[in-house]
Amino acid sequence: MAEFEFHGGFAELAVSTRVRLARNFKGYTYRDLTAEKQKEIADKIYNAINAAPAIAKQFTFSEIKAGSEDALSKVETHQISPELAQNGGYLIATENGGVSIMIGEEDHMRLQVMGSGLCPKECMQEASRLASLIESQIPMDYDKNLGYLTACPSNIGTGLRASVMLHLPMLERAGGISELLNAAGRQGFTVRGAYGEGSRAVGGFYQLSNQITLGISEDNIIEKLIEICTEVIEKEKNLRHRVSSQHELELTDGVCRAVGTLKNARQIQTNEAIDCLSQILIGISMKYLQGVSPEDIWKTEQRIQPAVLGGTTNERDKKRADILRNLTKPLEIII
Amino acid sequence: MLCQHCGKNQATTFYKENINGQTKQLALCPQCAAELTGETPTFGSLFNSSFWNDDFFKDPFSTWGSSLFSSPKQAISGGRRCNTCGMTESELRRTGRAGCGDCYNSFSDILLPYIKKLHGAAAHVGTAPKQVEQSKNPLDELKTRLSDAVKSENYEEAAKLRDEIRRQEGEQNG
Ligand SMILES: [Zn+2]
Ligand SMILES: [Zn+2]
Repeated sequence: MAEFEFHGGFAELAVSTRVRLARNFKGYTYRDLTAEKQKEIADKIYNAINAAPAIAKQFTFSEIKAGSEDALSKVETHQISPELAQNGGYLIATENGGVSIMIGEEDHMRLQVMGSGLCPKECMQEASRLASLIESQIPMDYDKNLGYLTACPSNIGTGLRASVMLHLPMLERAGGISELLNAAGRQGFTVRGAYGEGSRAVGGFYQLSNQITLGISEDNIIEKLIEICTEVIEKEKNLRHRVSSQHELELTDGVCRAVGTLKNARQIQTNEAIDCLSQILIGISMKYLQGVSPEDIWKTEQRIQPAVLGGTTNERDKKRADILRNLTKPLEIII
Repeated sequence: MLCQHCGKNQATTFYKENINGQTKQLALCPQCAAELTGETPTFGSLFNSSFWNDDFFKDPFSTWGSSLFSSPKQAISGGRRCNTCGMTESELRRTGRAGCGDCYNSFSDILLPYIKKLHGAAAHVGTAPKQVEQSKNPLDELKTRLSDAVKSENYEEAAKLRDEIRRQEGEQNG
């Protein structure tokens, strides 16, 4: 289970933050890397971390077996990427899963730090600290002009992807997502639905992340990300208050129905569950509901994903409903 | 990740079923998932329904990146190679990925304009690694790698390193 490393503000609207650095080591090719070379790289990284005993204590080294159950559930708890789960490789991670270093991706190393709420600065600091510890001991593929070299030119330069997941159901309803998309795009950022396929973003969850990695410093990327997020969060908050004063019945109806569903359902599919959790989050932030924290909802979200649950479709839908009934037991409607 | 059924499209779904106690797992594209399961998958959409949409790191430019890569020159100049990793020009254009750090030199005429279009910039302004290794003589490092290569009987690598050492020694002396 991936617990969060940091706890930022705006927990109701900014779900979580993730920062990833891509790095490659000098003297190794990116493609056709033999199993021995890959292990060699993994060992070097682990040794580099072990050079700082206070840090090393928190990390464990494990092998990721391609396509294994364990790998899949690590994907759903966001500890590793689907590609690593598919290819297999190595994972050096903290016990709580907040920091994970992936070996076996298209780049030699992908270092990830996760936190809850809006905390890109904190995540970036931790990522930089670990990266420089590793870089001080292993020579990197680095070019004065191009920065850190990566397998895909879209990651070159800082090798940084910083991303925040936002809960924007009202902005979505008001048709504001395309405007956000344009505004973010002009600043080198992109927005996409966090769940669901195509145009439908299930539950109104969106992920905002930087696209540009070259010609902009890490600090600048992080600052811009926070700036855009803060602005969007403000918009969503205003819309919520407007909707609650003009369409309160409709709003509370949606929230209370979701409570009813999650408190009573005996089997439920992922998308419906996420839609309901979205309503519950609105209810908590509008003070229609109490008894469960937004963070508890995030933790539960990780536990209801298919590979984490295991078993057949029916078994999963039943287990998912059980977990959600348990989560919503202390939930109270207070309007 | 490509679909394990057709091998062509991007896989978006992890199809997993328990058949007589045996678990079978396949990464599938939406079309194959619909074909194999007879339904549009709403469950188990590992990649899309995942909390983070993990492929965000992969290829944020894919929609327009590929068109930059395929140039009319492709057909006539597929023969060039990166000396370090063996990547050919046509492979580079097809995959959109460098095979090693030296590819950025070997194919700079293709990659640099592409990078400039992607990022709107061609110069890094972020942090640099602490170059501890630079204080050492680069020749010493090469020599260590040479003896490692010989020990592990990797003679191809050893020959390359030996040539590089000779070249650098030549530079230092001349
Ligand atoms: Zn397919
Ligand atoms: Zn190369």
